[in-house]
Amino acid sequence: MNSLPLLSLLVFAPWAGALVLALLPRLSPSASRGLALGTSLSTLLFGLIACSDFNPAATAYQFVEVHNWIRALGVHYYLGLDGMSLLLVLLTGLVAPAALLASWRLERDVRLFNLLFLLLQGAALGVFLALDFFHWFIFWELSLVPAFFLIKLWGGPGAPRAAYQFVIYTLAGSAFMLAAFAAIYGATGSLSFPQLAHAAAGGELAAALGPWWIKIVFVGVFLGLAVKVPLFPFHTWLPSAYAEAPTGASMFLTGIMSKMGVYGFFRLLWPLFPAQLHAASGVLLWLALAGVVLGAFAAMAQTDLKRMIAYSSINHVSYCLLALFAVAGGGSELARDSAATSAALTSAKEAALSGALLQMFNHGLSASALFFCAGILASRNNGNRGLADYGGVRTSAPLFAGLCGLAMFSSIGLPGLNGFVGEFLIFRGVFGLVPYAAAVACLGLFATAYFLLTFWQKVFHGPVAGGGKNFADLDGLELATLLPGIVLMFLLGLAPQLLAGLINPLVTTWAAK
Amino acid sequence: MSPVQSALAILLLPLASAAVIALFFRKQGALASWISTATAGAIAVLSLQLIFGGERFTASMEWLRFGDFSLSLGFKFDDLAALMLFVVSFVGFLIHVFSLGYMHDDAARARFFGGLSVFMFSMLGIALADNLFMIFIFWELVGFSSWLLINHWHEKQSAADASKKAFIVNRVGDFGFLLGIVMCYWANGTVDLSELAKLGDAHALVFSAAIPLLLFCGAMGKSAQMPLHVWLPDAMEGPTPVSALIHAATMVAAGIYMLCRVNMLMVPEALTVIMWIGTATALYAALCAVTQRDIKKVLAYSTLSQLGYMVAAFGLGSNRIHVAGCSFGDKMGFEIAVAAGVGAAMFHLTTHAFFKALLFLGSGSVIMGCHHEQDIFKMGGLWKKMPLTFLTFTIGVLAIIGLPGFAGFFSKDAILYLAMEKNTAVFAVLALTAVLTAFYMVRMWKITFFGEARSEEAKHAHESGLSLTIPLVVLAVLAVVGGYAGVYGKLAGGIAELVPEAEGSAHTTILLVSLAVMTIGTVSALLFYPATGADALEKKSSVIFSGFVALKESFDSVYDYYVAKIQQRFAMVLNFLEQVFLAGLIIRGAAGFIGLIGIGARALHVGSLHAYVYWFLLGAALLWAYAAGVF
Repeated sequence: MNSLPLLSLLVFAPWAGALVLALLPRLSPSASRGLALGTSLSTLLFGLIACSDFNPAATAYQFVEVHNWIRALGVHYYLGLDGMSLLLVLLTGLVAPAALLASWRLERDVRLFNLLFLLLQGAALGVFLALDFFHWFIFWELSLVPAFFLIKLWGGPGAPRAAYQFVIYTLAGSAFMLAAFAAIYGATGSLSFPQLAHAAAGGELAAALGPWWIKIVFVGVFLGLAVKVPLFPFHTWLPSAYAEAPTGASMFLTGIMSKMGVYGFFRLLWPLFPAQLHAASGVLLWLALAGVVLGAFAAMAQTDLKRMIAYSSINHVSYCLLALFAVAGGGSELARDSAATSAALTSAKEAALSGALLQMFNHGLSASALFFCAGILASRNNGNRGLADYGGVRTSAPLFAGLCGLAMFSSIGLPGLNGFVGEFLIFRGVFGLVPYAAAVACLGLFATAYFLLTFWQKVFHGPVAGGGKNFADLDGLELATLLPGIVLMFLLGLAPQLLAGLINPLVTTWAAK
Repeated sequence: MSPVQSALAILLLPLASAAVIALFFRKQGALASWISTATAGAIAVLSLQLIFGGERFTASMEWLRFGDFSLSLGFKFDDLAALMLFVVSFVGFLIHVFSLGYMHDDAARARFFGGLSVFMFSMLGIALADNLFMIFIFWELVGFSSWLLINHWHEKQSAADASKKAFIVNRVGDFGFLLGIVMCYWANGTVDLSELAKLGDAHALVFSAAIPLLLFCGAMGKSAQMPLHVWLPDAMEGPTPVSALIHAATMVAAGIYMLCRVNMLMVPEALTVIMWIGTATALYAALCAVTQRDIKKVLAYSTLSQLGYMVAAFGLGSNRIHVAGCSFGDKMGFEIAVAAGVGAAMFHLTTHAFFKALLFLGSGSVIMGCHHEQDIFKMGGLWKKMPLTFLTFTIGVLAIIGLPGFAGFFSKDAILYLAMEKNTAVFAVLALTAVLTAFYMVRMWKITFFGEARSEEAKHAHESGLSLTIPLVVLAVLAVVGGYAGVYGKLAGGIAELVPEAEGSAHTTILLVSLAVMTIGTVSALLFYPATGADALEKKSSVIFSGFVALKESFDSVYDYYVAKIQQRFAMVLNFLEQVFLAGLIIRGAAGFIGLIGIGARALHVGSLHAYVYWFLLGAALLWAYAAGVF
């Protein structure tokens, strides 16, 4: 099985593509587009290969590659994959090519755009697969550089400022995380996640750091991740960054980048600091709830389509963290007293955790599809994407309206489409652990339905007006970009076990912790 | 085919029809309409076979599993499901046939019939579901298909608004429903209906008023009970067959059906709340109906009112036990009382589906005959021009006002009897509602069909074609015979036995009361309203008239106020705070603070040698002081 370094291929194939693009300055735009798309699709291919060889019954890391790297520091080149990473690798394999297709008509500096995009994709994959903090952090920070240029160079009029804010904000968070890991390294001499998790479970990590330092270190790691997700109130960089980025980059930012933060919460924060997370879960639950509820209500006030979807992203991603915090808190007093049996608590935890993982995947699909639809609207109307700039688009473009409607209802959580399953499981789980949180989060569900339907009604329904006049329906390229995602929304809505099978034993182990 | 297979076929056929239409026949309206109607016909045949085949079964399969936690999908086909299946498939089929004629000239016919198929799929799913989770799935899908069909004419702003309103108001109720399901799961460890019933028999259910009340929130949305009733009158923006199918016969009945499905979870406190909400809705909607001019709006409010009757009937099941509390000694009596509520509610649900679908389709025939005029004061004299429509419509009116011998008489009597036995106040309100029902129905009937033709459209009215009139005739027959034991008993099986029946002197009393209320309502409407172009109530007593109008609008204005003044402002304030306070003050503030430090640090490096020398001296002095132990 170890004959082929599958995970290294996964991570470095996009970077190899980027290198080729860099070395061939005279490559024609269409050739660089094709090359980039092909390399980008390699993720999906390798992901599917990994999927077929993946043993879902095992909860340990698979396809592991460990090599000594910097012997003096005890740094390893260490890649490995479990159900959660596999889910995100597959998501990257789906969203990244779609984002490239969405940028197919970009005319300016095509080669550079594709090069940067492949760099970004490789960095994201590195984050999902690296198990040693040293290169994990390199991937984590490297993802910022191409994202910065993608936003700044190809974005809207406010892009330079938005890109600047995005990078400075995220860097500031990362600085705390770096310092925190320096402290961990100083105390334990190890940077490997599995080792550290083991040490944390055995209590050696806490002993090595001491009772005060571990709290400070926890806060440091937390800040780095919270900015990336982002968790309320660390989210203010997000709306302008998402809104100003070019369509393809918005798709990748919301689909993949926001998952990097959530992944970090599951991979780093929870295993390394279970006791600290447990202690903080009361406050953190309220922050996640604020993201769920205020994110959705803030979306209501937006008139710019992309800003609206950006806020809705905050709302959706906060559900994942809500579930994690509820599980880490171990259930409120009320739930522990009346649910009585530990079996009930365990099944609530299983529901919440699996819901959170499915929600990551599902949100990646639906939010990137919505950003693409917003991009189509803007591209047909001189870049205007105000809610009031359109009317009656459904009359002129029924196909576009139908597919965009499916993406919207997936985001609202209509049963039969993918979004429902994750959200239902999260509600089921969180209710069993912290009933009030589930009740408050319902407000977020309501507000989401409200602003998305308002958007739909203003843009697609009513008399034809504004940009809705002579609105051309989808062409072949746009259809090819949108359709795979829509088909998957149906497929995963009808047969969620397809994904659930990959993460099932993993979640059971987590819930038993 | 085994029963399970035919149930599966019943559920999946409409989905297949919708998929085929959506994928291949979006442009071929005629073909799409025939595919959808043929599917509905096949479903009706299969359903009849299943219902009268006599087999009752449960079957389920696992859908999703995580460790110990699993979700499943399955069928629970008992007498209750069989009855609901009949209503949905049979009435649904007739409405498909009606739509063939009614929507014949519509440009988006394929989309309409595709939508009908999606709706049939969702509604059949609710009828057959064996657990609450599955009911919720199809519940949401019903909301979606209703949204889709209300905005069929989406270029019209009012239709677009109405569909959004319907979806969102339903969603509000659904959150309660969702929490109720999750809470039931959490408290009882299952949401499977058969398992819950077993737990109930073993007295092992966790009783709490919160679970049934949260579940009832869902019913409030779908069955349009106060205060979530506001979407139903607006939903009349959809094509008339949609109003008949969704907003009269099936979807709005789903709430009642769901309540009957979860009756084992009910506790007396919850039932009391349910009873009063139903009673209030029945009266409120009847008062609103009196001032309506639009023929469909009158029927919409009358639907609200009749749904209130059903909800009240369900809630009435318990009141006597309320005093005794819910100890295990009274458990038997408590269960029987709930069952009487189920019997009465389902009985009225069935007969109402017949006569209200008939009335809506009749109004559709009238509207089509009058070239899409919907104002009853612009009609008149139609009885001569549309004799068949007039005849069947009259039967529908007689059934709803409860003329002895017609279907509505039996089911309404069962509810009134239950109310008389259990709660005098509710009985009084429901009797008053019955007076009003007769009053506004006869008002509409007289003004629509009698007097002079009061507009060009009405003058050129014509009888509708066969595809419109055949469903009318079939439904008219059902509206007459649907209440007799020979018909309803066969259809409903065990559910028919639960219908409370008055005996002896109570029988005489209830018969006299219902005759009296019907006669008062009918005669006063006949005398009060001349068949002319103006509303007599508005002319004679504008105070009462505007009072009723204000009553109708009160809820909408409260919600509008909430949306425009509270919700939107909250969102604006939130956005402002975020932009100014969070992004501006705190984040920029932090950035500014760091910037200041930068400026300060820069000020030290001015490039002047003198400055550096002074700094050097200061540093040296400090070092010396430290070394000398000054501090």
